[in-house]
Amino acid sequence: MTVLQISPRTATKKKKKKKKAKKVAKTYPATKVLDARALLVVNRFTGGWTPGLGAEVTRSGGIDKWFAKQLSPASLPDTFYDSSATWWSSNLAPALTTIARHYAGTENVWEANAHYQAWSMIRRIGSERQVLETMANFWEHHFHVPTDGGQTGAYRQEYGRLIRRLALGKFDELLNAVSTDPAMGAFLGNATSTKSAPNENQGRELLELHTVGREAGYTEDDVKSSARILTGWRVDLWNTWVAAYNPAAHWTGPVKVLGFSHANTSSDGRAVTKAYLDYLARHPSTARRLARKLAVHFVSDAPSNGLVEHLASVYLANDTAIAPVLKALVASAEFKASAGKKTRTPEEDVIATYRALGVKITRPTTDEAAANAILWQANQIGMTPFGWPRPDGRPDVASAWTSVSRMLSSFEVHYTMSGGWWPDKGASYKKPSGWLPKASLRFDALVDHLSRSILGRPSTPFLLKVASQATGIPAAATITAKHDLVRWQMPRLLTVFLDNPLHIGR
Amino acid sequence: MTTIDCCTELSGMSRRGLLKGGITAAGVGMATSLFGGTFLQASYGATRKAGNVLVLLSLRGAADGLSLVVPHADPAYYAARPRIAIPKASLLARNDTFGLHPKLAPLLPMWQAGKIAAVHATGLPAPNRSHFSAMEELEDADPGSAARVGWINRLIGQDDYRHPLQAIGMGMSVPITALYGPQPTVTAASVDAISLAGDDQWDTADRRRRSMQTMWAGAGGAMGSGARSALSTIADFQPVAKSSKTPANGADYPSDDLGQALRAAARIIRSNVGTDVIAVDHDGGWDMHTDLGTLDWGRMVDASSQLASGLAAFFQDLGSLGDKVTVVTISEFGRRVKENANYGLDHGHGNVMFLLGAGVKGGYYGSMPSLTNSLDADLPVTTDYRSVLSEVVTKRLGASTAAVFPGFAPESVGAINV
Repeated sequence: MTVLQISPRTATKKKKKKKKAKKVAKTYPATKVLDARALLVVNRFTGGWTPGLGAEVTRSGGIDKWFAKQLSPASLPDTFYDSSATWWSSNLAPALTTIARHYAGTENVWEANAHYQAWSMIRRIGSERQVLETMANFWEHHFHVPTDGGQTGAYRQEYGRLIRRLALGKFDELLNAVSTDPAMGAFLGNATSTKSAPNENQGRELLELHTVGREAGYTEDDVKSSARILTGWRVDLWNTWVAAYNPAAHWTGPVKVLGFSHANTSSDGRAVTKAYLDYLARHPSTARRLARKLAVHFVSDAPSNGLVEHLASVYLANDTAIAPVLKALVASAEFKASAGKKTRTPEEDVIATYRALGVKITRPTTDEAAANAILWQANQIGMTPFGWPRPDGRPDVASAWTSVSRMLSSFEVHYTMSGGWWPDKGASYKKPSGWLPKASLRFDALVDHLSRSILGRPSTPFLLKVASQATGIPAAATITAKHDLVRWQMPRLLTVFLDNPLHIGR
Repeated sequence: MTTIDCCTELSGMSRRGLLKGGITAAGVGMATSLFGGTFLQASYGATRKAGNVLVLLSLRGAADGLSLVVPHADPAYYAARPRIAIPKASLLARNDTFGLHPKLAPLLPMWQAGKIAAVHATGLPAPNRSHFSAMEELEDADPGSAARVGWINRLIGQDDYRHPLQAIGMGMSVPITALYGPQPTVTAASVDAISLAGDDQWDTADRRRRSMQTMWAGAGGAMGSGARSALSTIADFQPVAKSSKTPANGADYPSDDLGQALRAAARIIRSNVGTDVIAVDHDGGWDMHTDLGTLDWGRMVDASSQLASGLAAFFQDLGSLGDKVTVVTISEFGRRVKENANYGLDHGHGNVMFLLGAGVKGGYYGSMPSLTNSLDADLPVTTDYRSVLSEVVTKRLGASTAAVFPGFAPESVGAINV
C-alpha cells in the first residue's frame, strides 16, 4: 500500500506506547475480506468491493477462477441487466422506435440518452457480469459518442448495447461494428459524408483515436483516403432516420492509408471498409495503443513500455482477442504492484459508493429517484458517463480527476449518502444501527468491521486515529445502538471510509 | 494587409518589478510544493489583492474564424462558400477588409468604444489538425520541452506569490493543459463546489476539517495534492462564496455554461482574492463539420450568440472593475476556407483571436493573406498566437515572454496599450 505513509511523528509515538501496557486495538475478523491481490483485481475490474462480492469470489474457488468465469460472461446469469433495462422504456427500444417516441412527445431523445447513461451506472452497481460491464464501459469510452441527444440520440442506446455484446470478444469485430454504426456516423459526420466532398472527421478520428494513433505517422493524404473509404455508410438524419449503405455516396478509386492500399473500384464499398478496418485492427500501432490504454485503465497512469509491449504482443498473437490481453495484464508483476495507483473517475466513485454503502436501488418512479439522480451525482463530481463533449472520451488519469472541485464534490456526495439524505427516493439505505455487527462492541472493533465492509481490508492504526478524530470517540469506547454515534454521528464516521484515498483511489 | 503598429514588448519589464515588490510585501505563504512528488503543504499565506486580471476563454473544437471575422473584400471567401458565406451587407463594424458576424451584435457597443481587438490569421506555427494534440501544443506552448507544464502555470510562477487561487479554471471539472504544472491552481465547476461537506455549525469542535487534514496530509500523488489544495483553499475562497450571486449593473447572463462560468469569474474578480488568471472554456459545439449553417439556421449562429452575449454580460457586470480585466479568446485551430457538402467545414489552420477590455486598442489586426478556393486551402498563419498572448502577459501582467513562452521571439501585434 503506497497511499498512506506513516510520518516520523507517528513513529515516535509508537515507541512511547510500547512502554505502557499494550494497547492493541480490538479487531473484527468475523467480517471476511480477501487477500491483497484479490482485492486489487476486484477493485480494478468491478464496480467496487462489497462483502457479497468477496463471498462470491471465495465460492468460485479464488480470484483466478472467479476472473476466468467473468471473462466468459455467457456462463453467468444476466438477470440484473435484463430486469434493470426495463426500468426505462427506451433502453431496449430499436432506434426507429426511439425516434418515433421523440416525435410523438413521449420521450425526447435527450431524455432517452440520459436514461441510458443512468442505466449504464446502475448496471455496474448490480450486474452479475461485473467484468463484462467494466469492459463495455471501457470500450464505450474508447469509441466515445456523447449522450447529448441531437442527431446521435436515437441510435445511442443501440450503440451501447452493441458494444456490450462485443466487449469481451475480438477487437476487429468490435471495430467493424462500431465504425459502421449509425451513432458513430452521425456523431463524426460520416452519416452525411458524400463522395463529392468527403467529410474527414470520422476518417481522422478512426486513425487518431480509435486505432493507430498519431505516432503511427499517417499523413493528411492518409486521412483523406480514410474518409473516402468510409463514404457510403449513410443515415437519413432528421428525416426518416433510416441507416443504410448507399453505393451512390461511395467514393471510388484507389485508396492508400499507411500500409493499406485498395483499388476500391466497386461502388459498394462495404468490402473495402471491412478490409481497411481489419488492417487497422491488426496494425502494431493499434496493438500498442490499445495495450497502453488498457494498462492506463487497469494498472497505472504511467505504465511501463515493457508492459505495453508485452500486452501488444499478446493482442497480436491472439488475433485481436481481448480476454487473453486482460489475463496477461492481471498476471503481470506490474499489475500486482499497482494497488492504490488509480484514481476513480466521477462515475466510478459514485458507483463504488453505492456498492460500499450497500444502498439498494429500485425501479425509478420519479426524476428524483436514485436510479435517475445517480446521474446528477456523477455530474456534481465532474462528469457523467459519456457526457464528455469531445470525441477523445473522458480522461482516465489522476491529474484530470483531482481538481479542487472534484475532491470537494466527492466529499459532498459521500457525506450526503452516508447520511442517507439524498437521493432519498427509490433507494434503501442501511439504518445506522445496521452497521453494528453485534449489539455491543468497542469503537476500534467497529472501525475494523466498517473498514472490512466498506474498503474490503482490515483497519489500521492510522484509520482508527482519523475515525476517532472525526467523531471524538476513543478506541476503547463501548458502542451500542444507544450510543450517540449510532443516534447522531454515524454519517460522520461512514464518510471517513469514503473520503479516503483507499476509496477515491482504486 | 491590415498590420498596425509597433511597440516594445519588453515595456512590461519595469512594471513587473514593481508588481513583484508589492507581492512580496503582502506576505508569502509556506511555499514548499514539490510537483509530482510528496507535496506536504497544508496551508498558504493570506491572499493578496489582485492586480490586473487575464481571462483566457478557449473556444473548444476549433471555431471558424472566417465566420466570426469575415474577410469580405476577398472574392475567394465568397467563391469557396457558396451556401454558408455571410453577405457583406449583414456584417457589423465593417472596414475595407473585415466585418463581424451579425450575431456578435451584443459586443458592438464595446467594439465601437474601442475596447475590442480582433487579430486575424493567428495560430500555431505549423498546422496540427488533431484537436487534442493541437490543444496540448497550444497550451503547453513550450515546444522544446517534454515536461507537461502549461503557459499559465509558468506565468503565475514568475513571482514569489504562491497560492492556489492565483489561477483558477472556472466552470470546468478537469484542469486544462494551460493550467497544469508545479504551481498550485484551482479548477472548479462552480463557486458553490468550494466548500467542505460536514464542516457545519453542528461540528463545534472542528472535527471534520481536522480529521480530513489528518487523513490527506501524507497521501501521495495527484490525489493527495488535489485534496490538500482543496482543503486549504476553502477558507481563502470565502469572500467569493459569500459574494452576491446577483450580477451588478443589470447584467443578464445567458443560462448556458459559458454564461455561468463568466458570471462566476466576475464574482471572483469582484471578491479580490488574489487571482491573476481565470480560464474558462466554451464547449459551444465549434467543431462544425456539419450544419455550420447560414444566418438563418445552424450551429454558428447559436455558438456566436452564446459567445457574444456571455462576454457582453460579463463586462456589464464588472462595470468599472473591467478596467483591470483583459479577455483573450483562443481556439486550437481554424477551419478550411472551402465549405464541405454538409454545410460545414473541416479542420484548417489560421484563426482569429479576440482581445477585449482593459488595455485593448480596438480594431482589426494581423496580416491577412489572400484566400485560396481549393479543397485543402487553409487560412495561413501570419501571426504566431504566442505573439498575441505575449503582448497581454508582458503589458498587462508584467511577465517576461522568455519565461512564459521559452525560446520564442514575439513579433509586435500592437493591440495592447502600454
